[in-house]
Amino acid sequence: MDMSQYLGVFVEESKENIQALNNAVMELESNMSSKDAIDEIFRLMHTLKGSAATMGFGKMSKMCHALENLLDSVRSGKAKLTENLIDLLFMGIDKLDEVILSIENGGDDSDLNVEEILNMISNKPESSEKGEKASSSPSKDDVKESSESESSESESDVVFSDAVRDVAQKAMQKGLNVYDLNVELMKDSVMKSARMYIVFHKIEENGGQVIYSDPPVEEIEKENFETNVRLVTITPMKMDELHDLVINVSEVQKVTIKPFEDKKSEEQEKKENPHPESVQKEEKEKVQSKADKRRVKLTQSVRVDVEKLNTLMNLMAELVISRSRIEETLKKYKIKEVDESLSQLARITLDLQSTVMQIRMIPVSFVFDRFPRMVRDLSKNLGKKINFVIEGRDTELDRAVADEIGEPLVHMIRNSIDHGIESEKERIGAGKPPVGKVTLSARQEGDSVVIEVSDDGRGFNKEKIIRKALNKGIIQEYEVATMSQEEILNLTFAPGFSTNENSTEISGRGVGMDVVKKVIESLNGSVYIESVEGKGTNVILRLPLTLSIIQALLVEVDKFVYAIPISAIDSTLSLKESDIKDVEGRKTAIIRGEIVPVVDLRSYFGAESFDGQSELVVTNYKSRKYGFIVDKLIGQQDIVIKALGKLFRETKEFSGGAILGNGSIALIIDVPSLVQKALER
Amino acid sequence: MAKRVLIVDDAAFMRMLLKDIIIKGGYEVVGEASNGAEAVEKYKELKPDIVTMDITMPDMNGIEATKKIMEIDPNANVIMCSAMGQQMMVVEAIQAGAKDFIVKPFQQGRVVEALSKVGK
Repeated sequence: MDMSQYLGVFVEESKENIQALNNAVMELESNMSSKDAIDEIFRLMHTLKGSAATMGFGKMSKMCHALENLLDSVRSGKAKLTENLIDLLFMGIDKLDEVILSIENGGDDSDLNVEEILNMISNKPESSEKGEKASSSPSKDDVKESSESESSESESDVVFSDAVRDVAQKAMQKGLNVYDLNVELMKDSVMKSARMYIVFHKIEENGGQVIYSDPPVEEIEKENFETNVRLVTITPMKMDELHDLVINVSEVQKVTIKPFEDKKSEEQEKKENPHPESVQKEEKEKVQSKADKRRVKLTQSVRVDVEKLNTLMNLMAELVISRSRIEETLKKYKIKEVDESLSQLARITLDLQSTVMQIRMIPVSFVFDRFPRMVRDLSKNLGKKINFVIEGRDTELDRAVADEIGEPLVHMIRNSIDHGIESEKERIGAGKPPVGKVTLSARQEGDSVVIEVSDDGRGFNKEKIIRKALNKGIIQEYEVATMSQEEILNLTFAPGFSTNENSTEISGRGVGMDVVKKVIESLNGSVYIESVEGKGTNVILRLPLTLSIIQALLVEVDKFVYAIPISAIDSTLSLKESDIKDVEGRKTAIIRGEIVPVVDLRSYFGAESFDGQSELVVTNYKSRKYGFIVDKLIGQQDIVIKALGKLFRETKEFSGGAILGNGSIALIIDVPSLVQKALER
Repeated sequence: MAKRVLIVDDAAFMRMLLKDIIIKGGYEVVGEASNGAEAVEKYKELKPDIVTMDITMPDMNGIEATKKIMEIDPNANVIMCSAMGQQMMVVEAIQAGAKDFIVKPFQQGRVVEALSKVGK
């Protein structure tokens, strides 16, 4: 069978399972006696194992099996749950994670060093000696020990015990049939004992009883047989009925039946008389019928490739555009009849648009859920106790945004724990609770999602930041006096900045916040820092709900329409020529007492220069204000971003294009690039 | 008319795989469920001819679900989907009324064999 078509689903689902495993093991770590957690881990491991085996990843499956067995020995009380064992589980999960990553990138599980883990499992010092070997070394599980009872093929020379003969005879006297049957399973049949159990079960279901079996039931249970089992059964069924019944059990290859022959023998009975009922009794004990408290999800879902959603979104956008064009055209003719259907069309497209948007939304837990594990490892490595709180994990945002914010959040959380939270001693000295608190929260505010990472650590030291910034040449001495609190904190976003003299392995060397800002801004979002020295730091990300539709201000420059993302705009104002001053060859305007560099978009785009009344759009970039002079403000509008294509790849000033209601195109201005380019000139 | 099958497994991947096998075998897949509770609901709703039932699942495992289904319909045809080493579970499921079991990793032939035999 060609399995490659399932690879995507396999990888996706395995990732989810690994994530869930991480959570469950952490749950177990915090509550070592949690049976629920163990069951959950067991179940997840089991699912992973099955999927991996099906995809042909034998090593991965073997590894899951080993870990599953480890759990089983804990569950059954054979092994004790210790911190080492938890670490071992985490290590195993990490290995599985690596394998999945390699599989996702077109590789396989061949690099997985199963032996290493297996050795660690069998060498773990806390395991109790007895029963440990069998349960923790998977290779032994399926080994079939040869036993004398396998000789069932040579049926004729079997001597039945007196008890069997006695029972058989009494049954025959009652008019029941007694048959001697040989059941042969397929050679590659797996779980043969369960298979045989079905045979027993079916016979009993039809009023029969198995009075003899070779090998005995105990041995069948242990799978100590090859393919053949010989049974003597008392049944009201006829021979061919019994044959049909047994042959109809899956994986039964051959059934031979003959009437029971009572062979007298003086020999002592050698084998115990097996009671088939005993099978049932023993197994009943294994019943674990704990009702699960987890909420039942009865919703159905379909997995869809993100690409398809993107296509759908694009088509949706085209539809919106077509609709506005029709609307625009029909306005000229004022046909009453069309109005109603047109407004209905508008409603439907709006509904459709919001539905498509919703489909693209995923809860932030998709990103957040991997952090508890990271925090746990960090706190262990750094020897800092951390109380990590996640809030608002059900908050939803666009899949494309969610995909991007993982890395920035990693940086932010690492910073909080590494730089923010003090050592336990320091905290106690400062009169703080010894355990540091880091909170990751998400909430929706209007059209954006706000994500905060806050800690109750030492906060930023302003003097230290300034000193560092001066040392690194990020700012000049004379600038310090006029800098606001916010501006000082913003220095930490400058490339190559790090307040910690001894940057650790964990936070790296000053790449952190710089990268965070870059990524967030590329998503049309923004970052702020709030920090009170000694009290803690709060880093706030504001992200758009979605990437494909943005709110923009449409402006006109030389009869062309341009769109400026609202998220980048500070304010707009009308101005006269006299408001613009030339300072050292640069155009500037004074706005509310602040000197703002100004770019005349008309001359920048090669049109005729300034004449009379204009509008100034003030934008924010790196906490500084920059003005753009335009002819006219048209208005605010939701626009659907379309890529410009390869031909315009070098045109950095525009982040894309949007088709407007009248069919014309508006280029979307990329404020950071435009500021950089325009001021370089 | 093709026999109607309900697939129950918590792994979407497994459901997908089984679905393909079952359809290729000439059966109709009328529904899927990802846990025991859902399976019972779906059984009531769809009345399938055959159910393939995974054992380890969240929110009610396959054995419990099989018991519930047998209560609803004593003639239900449930085939357990088991992994290696779940002998006891399978036996328990058979006691509960399951007709047969198939073992992961699935082999197309075995799955179809089980389906054809259980339908008789």
